[in-house]
Formats: sequence, C-alpha cells, structure tokens
Amino acid sequence: MSERKIILSATDVEVKFQVRSKTLTAIRNVSLDIYEGETIAIVGESGSGKSVFTKTFTGMLESNGSVSNGKIVYDGTVLTDIKTDKEWEKIRGRKISTIFQDPMTSLNPVRTIGYQISEVIMKHQGKNKQEAKQEAIDLMRKVGIINPENRFDEYPFQYSGGMRQRIVIAIALACKPNILICDEPTTALDVTIQAQILKLIKDLQKEYGFTIIFITHDLGVVANVADRVAVMYAGQIVEYGTVEDIFYRPAHPYTWALLSALPQIGKKGEDLFAIPGTPPSLFSEVIGDAFAPRNPYAMKIDFEQEPPMFGISLTHFAKTWLLDPRAPKVELPDAIKNLHEKLLEVVNGGQN
Amino acid sequence: MKKYIINRVIRSILAILLVVSIAIVMLFTMISRTLVFEQDATIKKLSGDKRTIYAYNKWEDLGYLDFEQMSAMCKEESKDFGSCMITGSDENNRVVSLYKDKGYTIQYLNDGTPFASRDYTALELISKFYSRLIKIDNPTFVKDEDNKDLKRGYSIGLDHNNLPAIMCSGCEYQYQLYVDGKFPFIHQNIFRLDFGHSFPTSQGIPTIDVISTGQGKTVNKQVKFPSGNVSKSAVDLHTCKYKASSTLDHLDKNKFNNNYANCQSNYDSPSMISTSYMFGILSILLSYLIALPAGMYMARKKGKWQDKVGIAYINFLIAVPSLAFIYFVKLLGQGFGLPDKFPQLGYGNIKSYILPILILALLQTAGLMTWIRRYMVDQSNADYVKFAKAKGLSQREIFNRHILKNAILPIVNGIPASIILAISGSVITESVFAIPGMGKMLPDAIKSYNNNMVITLTFIFTSLSIFSLLFGDLLMIFIDPRIQLSTKGGTR
Repeated sequence: MSERKIILSATDVEVKFQVRSKTLTAIRNVSLDIYEGETIAIVGESGSGKSVFTKTFTGMLESNGSVSNGKIVYDGTVLTDIKTDKEWEKIRGRKISTIFQDPMTSLNPVRTIGYQISEVIMKHQGKNKQEAKQEAIDLMRKVGIINPENRFDEYPFQYSGGMRQRIVIAIALACKPNILICDEPTTALDVTIQAQILKLIKDLQKEYGFTIIFITHDLGVVANVADRVAVMYAGQIVEYGTVEDIFYRPAHPYTWALLSALPQIGKKGEDLFAIPGTPPSLFSEVIGDAFAPRNPYAMKIDFEQEPPMFGISLTHFAKTWLLDPRAPKVELPDAIKNLHEKLLEVVNGGQN
Repeated sequence: MKKYIINRVIRSILAILLVVSIAIVMLFTMISRTLVFEQDATIKKLSGDKRTIYAYNKWEDLGYLDFEQMSAMCKEESKDFGSCMITGSDENNRVVSLYKDKGYTIQYLNDGTPFASRDYTALELISKFYSRLIKIDNPTFVKDEDNKDLKRGYSIGLDHNNLPAIMCSGCEYQYQLYVDGKFPFIHQNIFRLDFGHSFPTSQGIPTIDVISTGQGKTVNKQVKFPSGNVSKSAVDLHTCKYKASSTLDHLDKNKFNNNYANCQSNYDSPSMISTSYMFGILSILLSYLIALPAGMYMARKKGKWQDKVGIAYINFLIAVPSLAFIYFVKLLGQGFGLPDKFPQLGYGNIKSYILPILILALLQTAGLMTWIRRYMVDQSNADYVKFAKAKGLSQREIFNRHILKNAILPIVNGIPASIILAISGSVITESVFAIPGMGKMLPDAIKSYNNNMVITLTFIFTSLSIFSLLFGDLLMIFIDPRIQLSTKGGTR
C-alpha cells in the first residue's frame, strides 16, 4: 500500500462551527492519507463527523463552519488555502465529485434529466450543447438507463429512486473526477437496489479508476466495497486499517462495540447489542478519550489524557491506550471473536 | 387534460351561480325594502296614494314583487272592465278575491281602491335573474309595427372607418362585431349581460353600462354618418341601437339612412372599469418589477445588511397603516409638484398617474418581497442545490438555472389572479386621489341599497376570482413539468 501514490492527504484537520454564539468542534485533529484508486470507507455513528470531514475536501461546509486548523492537499493543490468559490469550482465536480444520500431530492425537480447532466459537461469540458447531449446519453447508458435517448428529456419525477441515484452517479462522473465521495449513497434505497447501485459504483471504478471515499454507517456495505476503513467517533478517526484489519483484528473498543452491534451476528431471541450511553457534546472540550465514558475497558488514563495513534502494523492504526505497552492485555469481546467464521455461517445458513 | 379543464370550468360556473344566488336571496329577502328609497329624491316629493303606487312600481321594477293595480287586474281577469273598476261592485270583489286566491296580498289605497301584490319567492328571484342574465342579439330582436318591411339578416361590410365589421339588420345593435382603436380592439355586441337597472344612484341606466361606459365630457369629432352627412358629433357609430320608427326625428333621418340611430357617445375619460384596470395593471407591473428583483437579492444576501434593509422596509410597510403610508407618499410627491388629486390634471397628463400607481405598487411590494425571499431561501437549502454546488456550478449558475425556476413557480401561480383582480380597483387609494374607478363602487352600492349594482359587482368579482384561479392553475401546466392536469392522476 505504502508505495502507492497519495492522492489526498489531510493533516491535523480541525473544523469548527459557530452555533448560536457557541463554538462546536466537529472535527478534532484528523489526519488521513487517501491513495489513488482505492476505496476507503469512513464509518461511524450519526454526528461523528464523517460527512463534515469529507465536505472539507470540496469546500462544501455550511457557511457557519470552517477549517480552523490543519492542511488538506489534493494532488499538489492545498485545498485549505482556497478561499473563493471560483477556485473551488475547479475542484468540485471536475476533480472531486460528491453524491449524496437522497437521490429523491438531489435532482432539480423542474429541469430535465438531460439538462442536469449536460450542464456539467458543458461547464467543465466546454462542449457545445449537441456534444454534451451525446456524451450525457452515453453516460446514461453506462449507468444502466435503458433507452437513454428517450429518457433524456424526462423529469426526475418520472424516474424511480434507484434510477435517480444512477443519474446522480452519472452526473458525478460526467467530468471523470479523480475522487468520488459517496455520502451514504444507498441509505435511502431498498436493499436490492442498494446492491445494484454498489455494483454499479464498483464497476465504474474499475473502468475509470477513480478513488472512492465511502461514507456509511452500514458495516455490511463497508465489507462489500471497501479496501480500507476509517472508524470515526466524536470528530476523530479512532482506528483505520484495511478491511481485514478492522473486521478481524479490531483494536479500538469503539470498533469492537460497532462490530458487536452487527445485526448479522445477533442470535435469535436475544436482544441486539447496543452501545450504552451517548456520544459526548462537542461544544465543550473533550478531555481524555472521547469514548471512555461508554467504554467498559476504560482505564484511569482514558479520562485524563487523549491517547495517541498507535501503529499496529504498516496499514493498521488505532487511537486507544489499550495499545500502550503499559496497558493490561485485553481479550476481544466474545461476540466478535472469529467474526469471519460467524459471518460465513450467517451467509451459508442463509443459503441453506 | 381536456376533461380536467371542462370539469374545472363546470365547477367554477356552479360556484359562481351559487355565490350570486345566495347574494340575490340575501339582498332581496333579508334587507328591508323600504331602505332602497333612502337616497331617492323622487319619493320624498310624493305623498299619500301616489307615494304608495310609486313605491310598489319601483319594487316591481327592481324585482322584489309582482304589483297589480286594479286596472291591470280587471284587464286580466274581467270581461266587464267598466263594472270591475267600480270599487265595491260584485265584479270588483270577484276579481279581488280571485287574486287573493292566487296568493296575492290585497291592500287598499286611501280612496278605498284595492291593489294586489305578491312577493317573489327565493326560487323565483333566482330564476328571474338568470333567465334575463344573458342576452343574445339576433335578427328577430326588433319588433317594430311601423317598420314591417325591415330586412332581417347578417352582412359583412366596412364601417365608417373602412374597417371590416359584421353588421346586422333586425338585431338590437347594428354592429355585431367590429374593430377599433380602443382596448381590447375587437368588440362585439352579440352577447350582453343584463343585470337590470341601477337604482337609486344612476337611475334607469343598466348597471353594466354604469361601470363600463366612458365618463366625463363628451368628445366631438368629425363623424361621417351613414347618410353621407359629415358633421362634428360625439356619437360612437359602433354603439348604435335600433330606434323605433315612431320615435325617429328629422335629425336622426338627416344622419342615418336606417333605424339604427340610438347611439352612445364618445367620452373624454375611460369607464370606471377601464380606469381601475389601468391603474391596477400598471401598479402590479411596477410592484413585480420592484419586488421580484428585491426579494431575490435579499434571498441571495440572506442575513447580510442588504437583507436587513429589505426586511426593515417590509416591516415598515406592514406596520404603518396603509392610509398613513398613502398620505406620506402623497406628501412626498407633492413636494415634487405632483397633483394631490387625480382630476386636477386629469386623464391627459402623465403626472396624474405617478403617485397613485407608485402607492398602489409599493403597498403590494411588502407581501410579494416576503414571499419571493422566502421561496428563494427555502429552495436554496434544498438538496438539489447542494448537489448542484458539488457538481461545480457557480453560485450564479445555481441561482439562475436551478433555484429561480423552483422559487418562481408559486409566484407565477398567483399572477393571473392579481392581474385579473386589478379590475376591482382599490378603495382607499382611489378615494384619496378621487380617481373615478371601481374601488368605491361596491361600498357605495351597498350603502345606497343599489341592489342590482351589488349583484352585478358580486357576479363580476366572483367570476373573475374563480376564473383567475383556474388560469393560474392552467399556467402551471406550462411551466411546471410535474403538474399534469388529469382526472386519472398518477405518474410512476
């Protein structure tokens, strides 16, 4: 992995929001390198800062928020130095595209599908209307729209949810971006359509070779699509590594808790595992490990001092005092021991 | 879609009929009928039997009741007119009791002569109104004993201005369809609405004419009459009605070569409807011209000082009573030498229009700006705007291509209504500037118990409101692709 080219690098990123004269620190010193052509999943519960973190890559933060510290570099361009929307327009859509959660509302209801695809092509590639239309139709075909010539002039309400998400993907890919940020692209879709859309994204990645940043709280989707996973909690990345690292050798108690909550490994008749408590308020400074109050393995130091990022292997890092040589040895929770076998069992059991 | 529109039109017409029927029944049954004489000068000069007979005759004219004097009863029911007319005779008593049996109330004049009257029931009131409401002119209209060989039929020809027109002989109006320089340029006399006569104000004139014919002084122009006679006259030849041969005088015969000599005049001022409509349309235009860009600009600068200035302006307009605002602007305007009353300079001078139109427009801007700003802000927070931004479109592009169309839709829906309803005029502004428009018509008509006028205006305003809503909805089909008017409903 390490010899691959880093396409986007975030260092010590801090994001603050002004909310009714109070300051909310949504992202706290997050560093992450993203490699060209990989699929990295960012997981975490609602409010953990997954979306906010990726919004800083395209300058899409809400107007009351800003990157207050740190540096984000994309392919030699320092994104954190960009001040005006004019400069961002060279990045957004052209280099880094985003697709959002809800395809139902991502498209303008009163403009034709064709218009919404070709306007990007015209804007970023400087093509004329006719060329843009041709390219848009090709794209529509590529994302699996049957009979695109006829559907070019239709409106979003004439498309189903899955079809609309295909169009959204077509628009995001219209300018062959290098990075595609998928902000929970399948959450609003039903399971069969979810699978189709994920497959489409993967197929397109193979063809175009773009990098995917996949934001989700669905670990099933992560296992399906990701090469690497970053786990976020309370505005920080608490653990990251390859999919195998995270699923089979998780090191952070929060990751353990997340995996324990997988519905697939729940036993019939028993309650599903739930993480007790709630995440900390980000309005005040978090002292120590943010997860400590909810962590059954928390030690005294967890409440006093923030843990550093410990390297477990070349690809696997976690931010927990448990990895400190002085910490007592803790076993993985029973629920997620041999997760691979358990998941296989579920899959096979399902087939029989 | 056709089916939908037909449905809507039918329902609209039913709604109009219902509203007007309710108004008729209320006016004629729930308000004391003696009140119609409140402002009638004639009745004050009369006393005794004359007064009674005058009142009943008027009530019959106005459609309250059926009034029969003894002579009429005798003519109708008795073969022996002479003995029938003797009060107290057997024949007289027979006829009177006959009318009593028919449901008439018998009353006696001071000299003991009986007379009969019968109030119309609600149903009769309504059916009488609608049966005479629409008049269709036709070649059999004229019934003139003295002109038996009148030709009857339509013809196409040129009028006195050498413009094509459809003319009719035997109809009430000579010109059935014609073109002239006055808005809306094509005019017709085929269908006419008859709402009865105005009373007690503008006595004896059809209510529809009161509001739709010109006002002010008559204007004399060189007119070439059908007889070839050219003279200075105020006559508008297009409006000529048939005049019975017995009433034609030598002046008429000098000018006209046929019986169509009962003409209306050209006036120097437009009618009440036209006046109000002109002010209304211009002020609406101006208010949209001001409010649309202002509201959009405020939305774009939401929360910044430009927005705050706009909100302060809106709050000012809403908080200050409109009368105070009108006088305020009027005072400002007088400082610039603008007249404080419309008739001072009159129709011919553009200065007369500036203040009223400006005030009417400004009064409307507050609401418009609020809505436009609100729709814009709503749309700016929509997901598709976020996605458009992620696509790399600039603020301006997002605004012009995406937000604008979505935000303008609900505004467009209301445009036909505001344009059409401009006809109803504005009460306050028109009063303050003494503009002879429609605004004061309805309150005045109600105050003077001018029932027919109230019904006329009710009918006109109701029809306009209902059909302007329909037009607003139909307009949406053309600009909002999501709306497909169909009775079947449902897309995928």
